[in-house]
Amino acid sequence: MGKAETTLEIPLEISDVSGQKVFSVANAPTGNTVGELVHEMLGKMNLPRNDASGAPLTYQARLEREGRHLNASERIGDALERGDRLTLQPNIDAGLGY
Amino acid sequence: MSLSFPYRFAVVLYAEDGTSLGAVAAKRDWEPAHEWTRFYFQRRGQLALDGNGIASTVIPLWERTMGEPYCRGYRIQIAAPGGRPLASDFPTTHFRDLAAAAASQFVERKKLREGELYSYVVVAHPAPAEAASASGLTVTNASPGVPAHEASLSSFLERAKPSGVIESDDMPVFVSPQVLEEAAERTHAEEGTETGGILIGMLWRDAGAGEIFAEITAQIPAEHTSGSNVKLTFTPQTWAAADAALRLRRRGEVYMGYWHSHPVREWCKGKTCTPAAQKTCHLAKDFFSADDDAVMRAAFPRAYSIAIVANDTAFADLTFSMFGNREGITQPRGFYLLEEKTSGA
Repeated sequence: MGKAETTLEIPLEISDVSGQKVFSVANAPTGNTVGELVHEMLGKMNLPRNDASGAPLTYQARLEREGRHLNASERIGDALERGDRLTLQPNIDAGLGY
Repeated sequence: MSLSFPYRFAVVLYAEDGTSLGAVAAKRDWEPAHEWTRFYFQRRGQLALDGNGIASTVIPLWERTMGEPYCRGYRIQIAAPGGRPLASDFPTTHFRDLAAAAASQFVERKKLREGELYSYVVVAHPAPAEAASASGLTVTNASPGVPAHEASLSSFLERAKPSGVIESDDMPVFVSPQVLEEAAERTHAEEGTETGGILIGMLWRDAGAGEIFAEITAQIPAEHTSGSNVKLTFTPQTWAAADAALRLRRRGEVYMGYWHSHPVREWCKGKTCTPAAQKTCHLAKDFFSADDDAVMRAAFPRAYSIAIVANDTAFADLTFSMFGNREGITQPRGFYLLEEKTSGA
């Protein structure tokens, strides 16, 4: 497996926090950003985009191969390799709601 | 498992005098009801534990007198390979929150007075053909099946005592006493501030009993959080640290949910509630906020996931409430407290 510098699309695996919801993406565009991929996958995986009050939730994609959270602006072709697994991890509050 | 929607639902609101206020599209979250339906039939052995390729549909249940387009509820129907579809029916009370949100909109538009009573009905109309997705991503659901291993339910029941009301339709959940002991220690150590952890454990299947049940074996303290007296923020670093801890254990455990504390004694101080009022306050026990539920939805969406709340009040010893998905809604539920600290499978 090598960096996809010359390919336009690469396959990836995306998981939720629990690891119990996993989706394979056959053709993640290498020119897109990680943020664009996360945004699109939230819908595909039916993960909530908003908290209970309707405010947007932020998710970070954790690249398991490197054990780091990717910056949303990183380009897929620069940061990821074929078959990489990303975990979408939200910043989210439990609490009274105020 | 994909979910399709041949109908579109809407709530129609009426003012107290019967005047129609208008209709609002019902954009509800169908996932918890879908998850519950799927797991209900998996527990009973009527649906494979690995069911990614199976199609599910949300269809209206027509109101018996008025008929279409009025609904008395909705049905989630799962295509069972080689057999009749499996289905669960849900009432229109599942649309209550949407009706309340719609009422707020009508208040803003001055069509309804603040505090004025209203009623609602749910209607459904055939959905127009869906346009092709604008997304170029080719995505396949590769989720693992229900990670259940064989074990005897009776062997767990023999060494456990019930806590709270256990409904016969709920998946049995067995909790190691160590989990609650550690949660209590952490709650007391952080008194006045919300704290929490990630619950891990095993799913067991007793084929003879036709049941799947859960064992909560441990809690992983939630690190990299920020807590106040009214909230606990789980960050991406929290989940990453929990992942690392889970892997280090190498015991085949999976995520089962989360626990967190409710420093009710602190909430009461802010409201200067009397001791008598504190004892009957709905926040004191079995309270799970919309925010608490949102954590479940975002991080632990499977129907077998559970949450535990440590109720820290000024008038009684620490108590624990458990919550789980029952009929598509997160509700208080009972559990079994194991008498030993180790897995007995």
